Amino acid sequence: MKECLSEEILQRYFDGELESERMEGAALHLAGCQTCAASLRELEGEAELLYSALAPEFDAVVPTERLQRRIDAAIAGLQVVGPVASQASTSGWRNWLESLSSLVSLTPQRTFGYAGLAVVLAFAAIFGISRLRNTPPVTPPSQVAAGPQRNPSPLPAVVESNPADSRVALTRNPTPQRSRRTSRATTARPLPSTPAVAEVKLLPGERSYLKTIAALDSTIKSGKKTMRPSLQAEYERNLALVDRAIATTRSAAKRNPNDPDAADFMFSAYQSKVDLLNTIADARVYNRQR
Amino acid sequence: MNGQARAFVDSMPNDIATAATPLSFDEAFTLHHRAVFRTARAVVRDSGLAEDVTQEVFLRLYRNLDSTPGEELLRAWLLRVTLNVARNTLRGQSRSVARDSEYQKESDQGWFALAPEEDYERRVALEEARRALDKVKEPMRSCLLLKQQGLSYREIATTLSLKETNVGSLIARGRKEFARVYGKIGGRR
Repeated sequence: MKECLSEEILQRYFDGELESERMEGAALHLAGCQTCAASLRELEGEAELLYSALAPEFDAVVPTERLQRRIDAAIAGLQVVGPVASQASTSGWRNWLESLSSLVSLTPQRTFGYAGLAVVLAFAAIFGISRLRNTPPVTPPSQVAAGPQRNPSPLPAVVESNPADSRVALTRNPTPQRSRRTSRATTARPLPSTPAVAEVKLLPGERSYLKTIAALDSTIKSGKKTMRPSLQAEYERNLALVDRAIATTRSAAKRNPNDPDAADFMFSAYQSKVDLLNTIADARVYNRQR
Repeated sequence: MNGQARAFVDSMPNDIATAATPLSFDEAFTLHHRAVFRTARAVVRDSGLAEDVTQEVFLRLYRNLDSTPGEELLRAWLLRVTLNVARNTLRGQSRSVARDSEYQKESDQGWFALAPEEDYERRVALEEARRALDKVKEPMRSCLLLKQQGLSYREIATTLSLKETNVGSLIARGRKEFARVYGKIGGRR
């Protein structure tokens, strides 16, 4: 008679996890060995005991509907912060940009609507930062370098330019913006908004915004003569507001390198400027086409 | 589930979608949310916390759709994340006296709705089973929980970062230990 089956082999036999040849061999052995057959009966008894004892743990009702609602809401929340999961999908970006382009196909009325929206966003950023300034920084900048950084290589925001109409669309960074914080706390300085700022130490998320802003800026400047005076006045007024918001939020972000909200406010202000510039660039193209 | 989530999965490049995640997010939720929730509840022993854990697990799946394993080992991946999140949740809970008392209250009152007499018997039996299970050391305890849910040895090994060849003996030892302690507690054997 062959050697008796070990506990492990018996368990695997019981669970159907033995390879087929070994399964047959074990079955043959069990048919002829009283000791192993008794061990198997004992195993079966214990397994039945375990199964029935743990059954109530796994029998209770699963709240499928509620879980589904909660997860849907949480995903919707993620998408408000930024289309987080789209980092792997180029065609996803394309779809998203197509839907965006339908939004920015402008009429003059829409132009002013968007410009107004940009102003509201700028005021929101200023309001947010004014509240932030009342909150002292929690952690000294030296500790931030050791802090968690889920996305150490910040992804640049996606920029797609269309040579036909010189419009530039910038999407939000696909990762949550608070992951873009860094420990580079430098002295606060006024916001540079032209390509010359490349010499200035930038927070990682800033560079892509500044590039986009520079591209849009040059587009708009090149076509400034075609801009209607009323639109240009509105544009410059809004731009000044947004620039002021960026400067304020940026200096706050540098003063509070450990505060994710400070970085978020700054990126919101940048986004406001990009939105405004996009609006104006579109309006310029629209006017030229008329 | 979520239209945008489905659109995202549908829009994934074919090679990624087929190689890494043949299941859509919705399908993954439909197939595996029960296992995730039950495993979470078996660890945190609180339905509300188990919902929190389940939500976090599926958010992580949503964020990592492109890097999760294919269908065959997706359940193992989800349960691995579930165990991690659930244990972290428990660690957080242990620091909260208020939450402890809430948990105690919920445990005392029972978290599944049954008729009072049946509820009482079941609750006592479950508490005994949990006490016995608590005496079984890791990773044997997790092996038992996962086996109870019908996971294969391969899935258990993946979930718990074990060698597949060790799973059988861990289950055998865990089962024996559980039977010994449970027999003492409940006088059943």
